[in-house]
Amino acid sequence: MGAVERYAAPLSLAEALDLLRAGDVTIVAGGTDLMPQSHSGKVRFGSLLMNIRRVPELGGIALEGDTVRIGALTSITDLLESRLVRERLPIVAEAADHFASEQVRNGATVGGNVCNASPAGDMLVPLIVLDAAVELAAKPNGAVETRSMPLREFLTGPGRTQRAPHELLTAVRVPLPPPGFVARFYKHGTRPALDISTISIGIGGVKRGDKLENVHVVFGAVAPTPIRARATERVLEGRPLDAAVIEAAAEAAHDEGRPISDVRASAWYRQELVRNMTKRILAHVAFG
Amino acid sequence: MRIIERDTLIGKRIPKMDAPEKASGKTRYIHDIDVPGQLWGKILRSSRVHARIKRIDVSKAKALPGVHVVITAADVPDQRPIGINKDHPALKGDKVRCIRDEIAAVAADSEAIAEAALKLIDVEYEDLPIVVDPEASLAAGAPVINEKHADNVAMRFDYSHGDVAQGEAESDVVIEDSFKLHYVTHCCMGVSGVIADFDASGNLLLHSNTQVPFLHKREFADILGMDPGRIRIVQPPIGGGFGSKLDIYPFEVIAVYLARAATRPVKLVYTRDEEFLASPTRQPVILKLRSGCKKDGTLMFRSVETLHDNGAYTSWGATTPFVMMQTFSSLYRVPHCKYHTTVAYTNNPYAGSFRGYGNLQATFAVDSHMDKLAEAIGMDPLAFRLKNAQGPGEVTGQGMVFKSCGFRDCLTIAAERSGFLAKHREYRAAQRAPGAVKRGVGMASMLHVGGGAKIYPSDGCGTILKIDDFAHVTLMTGASEIGQGSETVLAQLVCEELGLPISAVTVVNNDTDITPWDVGVHASRTTFIAGNSAIGAARKAKAKILAAAARKTGITEGELDLVGGFVVRAASGEAIVELAKLVRGLHFSDKAELVMTTFYYEPPSVHQDKGFKGDVSAAYAWATQVVEVEVDCDTGIVKMTKVTGAHDVGRVINRLGIEGQIEGGVVMGQGYALTENLLIEDGRVRNPSFRDYKLVTAPEIPEMDLAFIETMDGEGPQGAKGVGEAPAICIAAATANAIYNATGVRIYELPFTPEKVYRALRGVAPPVAWHAAAPS
Amino acid sequence: MSHSVEIEFRLNGVVRRAAVPAAMSALVMLRDVLGLTGTKYGCGEGECGACTILVDGASVNSCLMFAVDCDGREVTTIEGLAADALAERLRRAFAEHGAVQCGFCTPGMVIQASRILAQHPHPDRATIQRGLEGNLCRCTGYKKIIDAVAAAAEQS
Repeated sequence: MGAVERYAAPLSLAEALDLLRAGDVTIVAGGTDLMPQSHSGKVRFGSLLMNIRRVPELGGIALEGDTVRIGALTSITDLLESRLVRERLPIVAEAADHFASEQVRNGATVGGNVCNASPAGDMLVPLIVLDAAVELAAKPNGAVETRSMPLREFLTGPGRTQRAPHELLTAVRVPLPPPGFVARFYKHGTRPALDISTISIGIGGVKRGDKLENVHVVFGAVAPTPIRARATERVLEGRPLDAAVIEAAAEAAHDEGRPISDVRASAWYRQELVRNMTKRILAHVAFG
Repeated sequence: MRIIERDTLIGKRIPKMDAPEKASGKTRYIHDIDVPGQLWGKILRSSRVHARIKRIDVSKAKALPGVHVVITAADVPDQRPIGINKDHPALKGDKVRCIRDEIAAVAADSEAIAEAALKLIDVEYEDLPIVVDPEASLAAGAPVINEKHADNVAMRFDYSHGDVAQGEAESDVVIEDSFKLHYVTHCCMGVSGVIADFDASGNLLLHSNTQVPFLHKREFADILGMDPGRIRIVQPPIGGGFGSKLDIYPFEVIAVYLARAATRPVKLVYTRDEEFLASPTRQPVILKLRSGCKKDGTLMFRSVETLHDNGAYTSWGATTPFVMMQTFSSLYRVPHCKYHTTVAYTNNPYAGSFRGYGNLQATFAVDSHMDKLAEAIGMDPLAFRLKNAQGPGEVTGQGMVFKSCGFRDCLTIAAERSGFLAKHREYRAAQRAPGAVKRGVGMASMLHVGGGAKIYPSDGCGTILKIDDFAHVTLMTGASEIGQGSETVLAQLVCEELGLPISAVTVVNNDTDITPWDVGVHASRTTFIAGNSAIGAARKAKAKILAAAARKTGITEGELDLVGGFVVRAASGEAIVELAKLVRGLHFSDKAELVMTTFYYEPPSVHQDKGFKGDVSAAYAWATQVVEVEVDCDTGIVKMTKVTGAHDVGRVINRLGIEGQIEGGVVMGQGYALTENLLIEDGRVRNPSFRDYKLVTAPEIPEMDLAFIETMDGEGPQGAKGVGEAPAICIAAATANAIYNATGVRIYELPFTPEKVYRALRGVAPPVAWHAAAPS
Repeated sequence: MSHSVEIEFRLNGVVRRAAVPAAMSALVMLRDVLGLTGTKYGCGEGECGACTILVDGASVNSCLMFAVDCDGREVTTIEGLAADALAERLRRAFAEHGAVQCGFCTPGMVIQASRILAQHPHPDRATIQRGLEGNLCRCTGYKKIIDAVAAAAEQS
């Protein structure tokens, strides 16, 4: 653990970005990942500990045109309690319900879960299913500049993202799904929520008759980042969801990831789960 | 004339006496206690599994501001080894034998400074070959772990009755299987801790979480070379025990060494990961079981061989075969039985005692085989068990005498309440039906000591009882309280004798300078032993009071009784004198007498002979549990939906308390069966956190339906028998049988985690150790 | 040692000031700096719930929260719950329903139960069970804790 020399709790985005530009900053929001990571030595504190909880620009869930803007400080509980999220982005609420415990949901933030970039991050899978983008802000030359990129490109590896050191993730932007959009989330574990996913699956698409279009299949915890399962998507895209297609999609899903073996599960078992549960979810989408 | 209604507290739902304090956060556990002038102790543990210590340099740590003392084995040349084999120096000087080994310790002004000092200690190791598999440990040429045990054998046990060869010859069906039991650990919510404090005269006060204060006092005296009279043990409220606090551990001895060296009190409290690394485990066992029966269902023989992984040092885990053999020899009537055990040293963390003390492991194998034998001869599992179940009055091949025994009632009542037979048939028939989720039901039973266990020279407990001049009772008992509710049960038993409400009793149970001797809280003995002791003291007080009342009133003692805070006429309930008034009168009379009594209860049990024969407990507890599961064959997830338990408890004293014991034990058994698994690979603990060592959480618990069989044991306090360990014991066995009933697949290795079950269902071998599996 | 930060917040209804190292957890601050030992250390990584406190009415694991983040907020610990009618019902229900054994998890359970009942005045058992998912108990098997929370809800 490095020694924290300074602490700051900026009251505006501009102030936060100024502090970031000075360098060697550890950002704290909910603290739910940072605190244990600092104890285990996984994270070394920078000389400035910057608490962004009091930055108003980072809060709130709002509908902006056809996009839902979820501020980075939105807690997982906020997602669960938001009518907008529950009604328009139900897969996000579903995943939020499978997130740790109520105490952690009350503290943990969406921005933190995204920036922590765990391969098993619970909120990442549904957000990628929905083609979410991240909004990043920086103040390189005295003015606040923002940029945006797809979430799945933002995540580059376990704990690694494309956020530059002087940037702050300000929000996640989720386009409203089109009419007929259906989506399901599955997280493998023996408990309702207080589990690190062995694997997680998100499947979404527009249902037209017995077909799924614009299919998004996303797997968590089978690769260094959550992945779009392109081969599985190709099997499903525009084809009737019958038993043969579901079977073929499940087989494709099995080979999609390159999971590791760790204390929680072997790679073999993770692949088995991906196949079996992809099949089960598709059967629900088709027949349930 | 005032009539006092007779009332009883026995069998009622009595709230635990210390619950209001605990629920308001006022209870101060060891972690919450600070003594003036105290330093913080921290231990440096080995980073190697098996290695020679070539050099330890503590000079930088000593130089850190705020550090008072740094000690290594070289600083305590007088240290004597601990543990039941005396094979365990608290501070290791020459070599380390497992990953938890203590090699240096620091006392500093704060925990943070002590922690920082540990990082400044420089250790040079020379690695030695490791042995982490008990079978390999016994092979010729295996690395020697403990020099005094060159064959790596920590202990052996041999037991037999009858002639298994004859039993096998007379059997129509013989089966043999190997079972494998895993590491689990206690996970007390309050982590381990101790405060060692010497006074100016050199007397040692230990604030300790021990379950056995009087044995500890003696053992500490031996280890420290002190007069036992100069050691006082005070137990703060304890954040969970479950057997984990039955032995002395190095951290306690080290805290004393630090306090001695620093001449300051030293507090040493674990972190949670330290608790996972350095507190004891339940003993892992490889168990080979061969059983046979006749076609008519008569069990004929049982032959058992077990190999126990002792770990690097010997604690109580090594002696669990004492309890296991009771289950092999006497749970069911078996005319021929043979049991051989080897307890092997390895470089793994070492095993201690844990609720059930070997019985979970033994019962897992025995009751799996009861199902298999029943199936092999085409008998239903209940009828087969009933045919071989022990009954009251039986003396087993091992010499256990079942004076009260509700085993057959346990079997039939658990089966009836759960609808066992119909479900068993239905689920078996549905094994091949469509759908990934299969349902199953399984049963298992257990026998466990319920009237103490005569292991030490005495299995007794003392009580001092005083009644003050307001008729308030102080009950000073040797019995320790670790959350199980003993103080409330003891108060109830005293109230029953003295006709007082529960609020009239204060229990003092945590200070060896005050309370009389007791073996300790283990072997489900406290209600039975300490209860009988408390009753004895209360009866003496009652006799004294009634004698005084008789003198005062001229009514004979035999006509008097104590009810509702009054001395009454026994026949009519007519109030004669208020008890408080009577005892005040007694005190402030010419004779100036106080009502104070003592009693020591020693159960009528006996020590086993050299062949392990004998009636070691004054009573035995019985139970049958029926477990219902849903098995998801697509994931291997086993969901425990319902547990029906029928328990012969002798008699219910505190219904609220006993339900809590059973429910808690059932869920602990659920964890053992399904979720808990301390992963140890190459001697290293891979999951030292609640994140990956999975206790059962609130949403996962099964529905629980409990029945109490009240057999009114003749020796038990108000007829009660011990029950503390019973509920955890059969869950794993019943779950194995339920999974088999659901899927037709029997699993011989615990725990039934999703991947293990999934592999078993698919017939796929288990994975190699995870770190050895190359990421693809 | 980490840089020390002056913070001010409302603790159990009373405004408090404290100087805390920037990297210190709220749990350590409560126990070691402010002497409120009702909040327990069970794991230090948010898995057991023994350290649950309320911050602005929401339950959090104080071991995961930075003490400095208490600045300007309303913090309630088991000691502060004492005066509250709901808390009194809960404490009584925990005792009467046998929800307390060793008691180490109990303060966290009571705090979390108060949060459950604040959010769901009449919860069903499943809601209580889900609400307590982040609170481990090794003694009771949870059933009596769930009973106690349900009973406290019924009395409201």
